[in-house]
Amino acid sequence: MMKYIIELILSIGKVDRRWIFLVIGLAVLLPLFFPLGLPIRATTATQRVYDAVEELEPNSKVLVSFEYGPSTKPEIHPMAIAILRHLFTNSQKVYVTCLWPDGQFMAEDALTEIAEEEYGLTYGEDYVLLGFRPGNEAVVKGLVSNIRKLYTTDARGTLVDQIPMMANVNKVKDFDFIFSASAGYPGTIEWVQYAADPTGVPMSTGTTSIQVNDVMPYVQSGQVKGILAGMPGAAEYEALIGSPGIGTSGMDAQSIAHLVIVLFIVFGNITYFIETRRAKKY
Amino acid sequence: MLWKRQIPILIATVVGLLTLFGWFIDNPGIESFVNDDATQWFDILASFAIFLGALNLMKLQGRKVLKQHSGWQYSLFAIGGFIFAIVAGFIYKGNDAVAWGVHVTSKGTLFKWMFDFIFTPLSATMFALLAFFVASASYRAFRVRNLEATLLLVSGMIIMVGRVPLGSSISSWFIMYLLVLVGSVAANIKFQDKIITFGVLLGGVVIVTIWGSLAGWPVDQPSIFYLPMLQDWIYNNPNVAGARAIMIGIGLGIFATSIRYILGVEKSYIGE
Amino acid sequence: MVIGAWISVFLTLAILSYLYKDNPFYKVAEHVFVGISTGYWTSMFFWTQIQPNLFGRLWPATEYDASSLWYKFYNLFGVFSSVFPEGGIAKGHDMHLIYLVPFALGIMMLLSVSSKLSWMARWGIAYTVGMAAGLRAYGFLNSNVLGQIKGSAFQIFNSDLPYFALVGESITNNFVILIGTITGLMYFYFSREHTGNFGRLTKVGIYFLMISFGASFGFAVMGRISLLIGRFVDLMHYSSSAYNNATLWILLIMVLLLGYSAFMDKGRPVESPVNDRTD
Repeated sequence: MMKYIIELILSIGKVDRRWIFLVIGLAVLLPLFFPLGLPIRATTATQRVYDAVEELEPNSKVLVSFEYGPSTKPEIHPMAIAILRHLFTNSQKVYVTCLWPDGQFMAEDALTEIAEEEYGLTYGEDYVLLGFRPGNEAVVKGLVSNIRKLYTTDARGTLVDQIPMMANVNKVKDFDFIFSASAGYPGTIEWVQYAADPTGVPMSTGTTSIQVNDVMPYVQSGQVKGILAGMPGAAEYEALIGSPGIGTSGMDAQSIAHLVIVLFIVFGNITYFIETRRAKKY
Repeated sequence: MLWKRQIPILIATVVGLLTLFGWFIDNPGIESFVNDDATQWFDILASFAIFLGALNLMKLQGRKVLKQHSGWQYSLFAIGGFIFAIVAGFIYKGNDAVAWGVHVTSKGTLFKWMFDFIFTPLSATMFALLAFFVASASYRAFRVRNLEATLLLVSGMIIMVGRVPLGSSISSWFIMYLLVLVGSVAANIKFQDKIITFGVLLGGVVIVTIWGSLAGWPVDQPSIFYLPMLQDWIYNNPNVAGARAIMIGIGLGIFATSIRYILGVEKSYIGE
Repeated sequence: MVIGAWISVFLTLAILSYLYKDNPFYKVAEHVFVGISTGYWTSMFFWTQIQPNLFGRLWPATEYDASSLWYKFYNLFGVFSSVFPEGGIAKGHDMHLIYLVPFALGIMMLLSVSSKLSWMARWGIAYTVGMAAGLRAYGFLNSNVLGQIKGSAFQIFNSDLPYFALVGESITNNFVILIGTITGLMYFYFSREHTGNFGRLTKVGIYFLMISFGASFGFAVMGRISLLIGRFVDLMHYSSSAYNNATLWILLIMVLLLGYSAFMDKGRPVESPVNDRTD
């Protein structure tokens, strides 16, 4: 009986990888059709971001920077939207910049969906899209010294001097908070190194899961106040602000897929142990 | 040879020294060069490098089509895609309300249409393919051969399960029972004695059950076995230590390599 | 809109079909990706870097003077009115003729596409390498080395902190990070053999590094799965009747065609994708 089970395990261990692809594909697809509704619990890192935003006085000036593109949109767009929702609910003034060119497309989509359609806010008084400027960290450095040198007009072509909410905003130090939704270079690290650290303006960030470990040391040392890590981080933030969105709907699929991969690792190692013990015997 | 070898090395040395010492020299001319112009020139040259890459690519694909090497028909698609993108970028705007230049970041243009319906699905799906390969590798390649590999896989698994909602639904008592099972398997491998194995298993189960009943089976206590808490600790402490060591190591390495380039010791960029 | 949806679905499914085996759908999508992304980045970099920052500084609108030789030269290019608009380029810059230097280096780079002149690219590359070396040397030393060391330092006998806490700061946690960082760094010191007491410390170091790599692996998996979820959500969105059920039709056609080719290939060995890429 034992032998039969062992033989079965070994034969499954050598299965064609296309069956593995099918299993993982189904593990991701099925929960999207049949959601499980698992409860989402925020981690300390996400809670710290929430607290940092919650602590801001109403009508604070918040700089939100979009540096991600379509290939990382599923991870970062939900958190950008959740942050915008939180800021607009608390009546903050939002200034949007982009260090990536495709970030501007993402910013426009997010602002149209949230600021215009959901909250019905006025452009130029409650939020403004300054847009993309090329130059990577040079843009961050430029914002720290003089915004108007970099931005003579906003993304829609209006002169910055004519935008009401840009009055008295000349450099990064005039902002009360910075949030960077970042997927790589340039992104969070540039904001920390050239803006938040030198000026002392508090900052938070949301990044792709892959980038999290690169940014962790800054979070741990307090230079960045908490971090939203990938789609799970976005879902946790949506749970904290009480409006589930795209991040939450993907969580069940994420949970099941992770469980399947852990089971794959465990099963693969069981086969490995059986094989090595057999090899030792003979 | 002067043009091909000495002058590039001289350029690298002079420019490198200028930008490095530019951080420390108080001369306004040099400061403005280092802060503004140097990065700008870098970006401009990077753009020309992209154009060079595009020209090389078209040269290669064109040669494939002309000489009819195997798979030349697919090269037609590559060339066609490139021409379409160039047309969208330079020739046909699609939205006359927008000026040339900003049309690459404006809505309603052919460029944006191409970005939304061709570029985005292609790049996003290419990345997404890796999810399948990671799953396949987890099954077929990740093996616990020694303590280091065990640490890697265990910490990876704890992070993977602890970070998602499923992890907060798994009770810490379930984990404790799992550990008792793993312990008895390890005892079996080590001592090869059925009595010891059975003793470890039974003893473990009894202890956990009594403890659990006394505590009332709370989901998140004892917290060291509750996956989200354990994951949080690993994420914030040993993980940060390792990441920091790597960051410092990389920082020192980059500094050393930069000095080598500036001093002309490292000449790999000219192909030597 | 609908045509775009059908194209998007076709390209997504074509790339996913690689999982079954390398097939013409995948090859077509791959080559289209190569062509489109090259063209996309070329256009993007030209319009966001070269035209405003290079040409905008060589021929700015602020100093436009139709009678000068320099601007007469500009007006010759005016036939490309999209790139060289009437009256100079207005991007808020002044004239900096020194930008002829990167322009010349850039042209040399482009000329290197011909094999006889390939050495010309070295000048531009040498500039890039030298500049990056100078800037990064200071930047990385400051923030990655000194900044991180500063972050690792903590008050050992800080009575505000608890001795042990699973969540949040504690004295034990700070010690763990400090010991982990130092032993991890020791591991990278290869000028001395890892034996004896030093060897034991480096072994501890590598354990910390392995935990960190394991966490990175967990996050990498998380990221990739999130991207896959994003693609599936898009495919589901495009399967609705507003897009004429694009996903379902294209999926059906692809499955039929691939199934047919697999049936015809029976007897010949099937080539399944060989590399287990996990980056």
